[in-house]
Amino acid sequence: MLITEKEAKALCQKILGLTKADDAQVRVISGAQTHQRFAANSFTTGGASENTSVALTVWIAKKKGLATTNDLSDGALRAMAEEAERIARISPVDREYLPTLGAQAYRATGGYTAATEQAAPANRAKAIAEIIAAGGKDSMQLAGLHQAIDTATASVTKNGNFFYDRKSRVTLSATARTQTGDGSGYFSRSHFDAAKLDTAMIARTAIQKALASRSPQTLDAGAYTVILEAQAVADLLRILRFVLDARGAEEGRSAFSAPGGKTRLGEKMFDERVNIISDPAHPDAPDAPATAEDVPAEKLWIVRNGVLESLAYSRYWAQQKGKAPTLGPVLNTILTSSAAPVKLDEMIASTERGLLVSRFWYYRPVDMRTLTFTGLTRDGLWLIEGGKIKRAARNFRFNQSLIEMLAPGAIDAIGAPERVSESENNAFPMLMPPLKIKRFNFSSQSDAV
Amino acid sequence: MTQSRRDFLLSTGAAAGALAIPSWMRDAQAEEAPPVDRAAIAGAAIAAARKAGAAYADIRINRYRNEAIATRERQAQNVARSYSFGFGVRVLYKGAWGFAASRIVTPQEAARVARQAVEIARANAQFQPRAVTLAPVEKVVTTWRNACERDPFDAPLDDKIQFLMKLNERALSVKGVRFVNSLLYLVNEQKYFASTDGSRIEQNIVRTWPRFTVTAVDQTKGDFQTRDSLGAPLGIGLEYLSNYPWLEDAEAAGNDAVEKLKAKTISSGKYDLVLAPSHLWLTIHESVGHSTELDRALGWEADYAGTSFLTPDKLGKFQFGSKIVNFYADRNEPHGLATVGYDDEGVPGQRWHLVKDGVFVDWQTTRELAPMIGRKTSYGCLHADNWASPAFPRMPNVSLEAAKENVTIDDLIADVKDGVLMSGDASFSIDQQRYNFQFGSQTCYEIKNGKRGAMLRDVVYQSRTPDFWNACDGLGGSSTVYLGGSFSDGKGRPSQSNAVSHGCPAARFRQINVLNTASKQPE
Repeated sequence: MLITEKEAKALCQKILGLTKADDAQVRVISGAQTHQRFAANSFTTGGASENTSVALTVWIAKKKGLATTNDLSDGALRAMAEEAERIARISPVDREYLPTLGAQAYRATGGYTAATEQAAPANRAKAIAEIIAAGGKDSMQLAGLHQAIDTATASVTKNGNFFYDRKSRVTLSATARTQTGDGSGYFSRSHFDAAKLDTAMIARTAIQKALASRSPQTLDAGAYTVILEAQAVADLLRILRFVLDARGAEEGRSAFSAPGGKTRLGEKMFDERVNIISDPAHPDAPDAPATAEDVPAEKLWIVRNGVLESLAYSRYWAQQKGKAPTLGPVLNTILTSSAAPVKLDEMIASTERGLLVSRFWYYRPVDMRTLTFTGLTRDGLWLIEGGKIKRAARNFRFNQSLIEMLAPGAIDAIGAPERVSESENNAFPMLMPPLKIKRFNFSSQSDAV
Repeated sequence: MTQSRRDFLLSTGAAAGALAIPSWMRDAQAEEAPPVDRAAIAGAAIAAARKAGAAYADIRINRYRNEAIATRERQAQNVARSYSFGFGVRVLYKGAWGFAASRIVTPQEAARVARQAVEIARANAQFQPRAVTLAPVEKVVTTWRNACERDPFDAPLDDKIQFLMKLNERALSVKGVRFVNSLLYLVNEQKYFASTDGSRIEQNIVRTWPRFTVTAVDQTKGDFQTRDSLGAPLGIGLEYLSNYPWLEDAEAAGNDAVEKLKAKTISSGKYDLVLAPSHLWLTIHESVGHSTELDRALGWEADYAGTSFLTPDKLGKFQFGSKIVNFYADRNEPHGLATVGYDDEGVPGQRWHLVKDGVFVDWQTTRELAPMIGRKTSYGCLHADNWASPAFPRMPNVSLEAAKENVTIDDLIADVKDGVLMSGDASFSIDQQRYNFQFGSQTCYEIKNGKRGAMLRDVVYQSRTPDFWNACDGLGGSSTVYLGGSFSDGKGRPSQSNAVSHGCPAARFRQINVLNTASKQPE
């Protein structure tokens, strides 16, 4: 069972009472998950697990030690406290030490539904059997994952702060492949409320994509106009939350660094319709009401009308630079358009020649100075000619700067954002729209289906 | 020529040695720590699973200890120790799997969790079209530990911090270096396995990974370049800190990062490649290690990691590489990260060829996979990254055999008129069937008329797995062999991390497509 707020507070206070360090923070992470995989039209691995771990960070004469355990017995907790203190005593002074937070006010953001309790094995098995049966009508091989996760996070500081938050996530991903291996389709969605996850729609979409991707045509590599479905946009732009650090930019080692030790803050780096926001209270993608440092998180404009408006200042870096720590960003990156959203069908209809991209795979950085990434299309790539989808295309490898992809003049159209998680890690929801990009660089063909 | 890591290890005798009493044993007996009778817990789980109708059951009772020390420039940023203990029970009920796990390690909880695992299997069994069958395995009752002379968890913390500080100082001594981030990551897995086959296996595994990144910045141009350490993670103790030239590599990294700021670019096109083993291991991992996983070939990973271009019909006849190319899998590789006595279903570690004389000859298998291709026994490739994770097929150490002759990397370069020399792993990406890949490197040099020339930057190569390995026409000898590897090979859903090593010599490849990634023109 997930740890309750009352239990978490009591556990944190108990651990805090075990140390006489000058300053301390206790963090509790409690999680329950249940999942079932299926592949080749059969059930494969699955299971259920629960865990609660506690971490104690102490500072003694500004020297820091951190120890973690999942053994919550009195003896083990005492041993953890002693370990943290032992590490602190023999560590060098933590030059970036700041006193832990005093009492903060956090805004509840919702998003907890006790998802694992709703995912009974019998119901889940029946739902997966129905997905496999749906694929059977078209002689498809179905593979996928059904997963429910509940997490509770709590922390207490010696200076009087207490934080507690719970979140749920239910995910279904499905891949349909033709028996001959010449077509493949993928679709995945998640929600914090299992009742709002349309498993039949997810399976049906994956099957339709597989049917439509059969017998792909080999095209020449080169620059194409592309229409990226929301999944493909999420796959590419997940990196944004990792690269918005002000310190890296001011140290001159970031895509947001400018010559002369400056940053690109205030610069119109992107198309003027592009807004990038972090909003933990967004009703479609609620996220933690606190940053990784437990600073209360509020809605944050990162890019407004194409202008880079915010970079993330940690507590330490903010103090060094005489600024306030950034209220965010949290995980749920949101991209919206200042103009009216354009529907996917309209993007296709307005395309003389281009490619529709379902998702990307194995996207990795090549050059962090320009946020140039490489990766491949996968599970659905189609040639558009004369405003219509003409046929499936063989997959491509790309090498593309994300900064250039969103730059002024590079975007043709922006759709309405939808809740989607990037497909490699599936770890956190974003709200991403389909995008029509004027030039996207594909560097070689891939034989993979 | 730089001395290889293997030379360092052999010259210092690091392959031998064992600990007297590991500290975790003392921890388990510490005052007030609850005594854990693993045999009793295993017995309770297996009995409960049998009573609930399971035809097969196993339990893994595992304790994990990690230590991470992070520094930057002249300060320690974080020292963290973590500890995780728990168990997972896997059952087979009417041909369907079930799994459940808990951190509460008592006989009562073990029995409850076993029944929960059977409940999951029972729910799946009514819809399971293919009943799982397992290849037989002999009962084993034993203990095993990997080679470790100096327990990293018993070593004074100050020694470890000072090691990193010296690395940082050495790199910062290079004019033009602005930042250094270094990390020492230590892992200890204490694993106990028991099954209805009667096996009872204890294993103790230690892994050590020092790493660093050196950054040089040209603020006037708004440019920066980095160079990562070339040392790899290994299954070894803290003796690794003195068995490898870390300080020399830190200084070299500083020089390389500064030189990269002024390095020239290259025109995209076809070039001969000479790849140092510090680079090639990752290409082997992605293009050979993953393509020879049988579960992928059968579609089990279609929803995430992907399938494989090596379909079952290609076994024994597909020309994977040129005739000098031989790949082997080895769970016994000295200091290998995937080196174990037994896998997570009690199958002993083995060595076998995957590619022989260029021909694809075998798969990686588990007890479930082996019968599906008519094999009687498993190669022992089942693994879970945690007590809470279900075990599934994972890669063993997969390595490329060196030439029997004493071929040096200079010998390989000597036969290249217009080519590129690449060292260290950097950017990497491969498609979901393991055909099309792209790799970058930490350092890159032009080769002109058989000699190493100027440093290059912004270089990657792209190829197609069988084209690439069939273009291999030169291998270094054993003096060039290096054991690379990764702590974090991701696969499965929910994603699990596997530590795995890849040994290889330097190698030469003819006419491979090379790209200039700084070019704005489509390649």
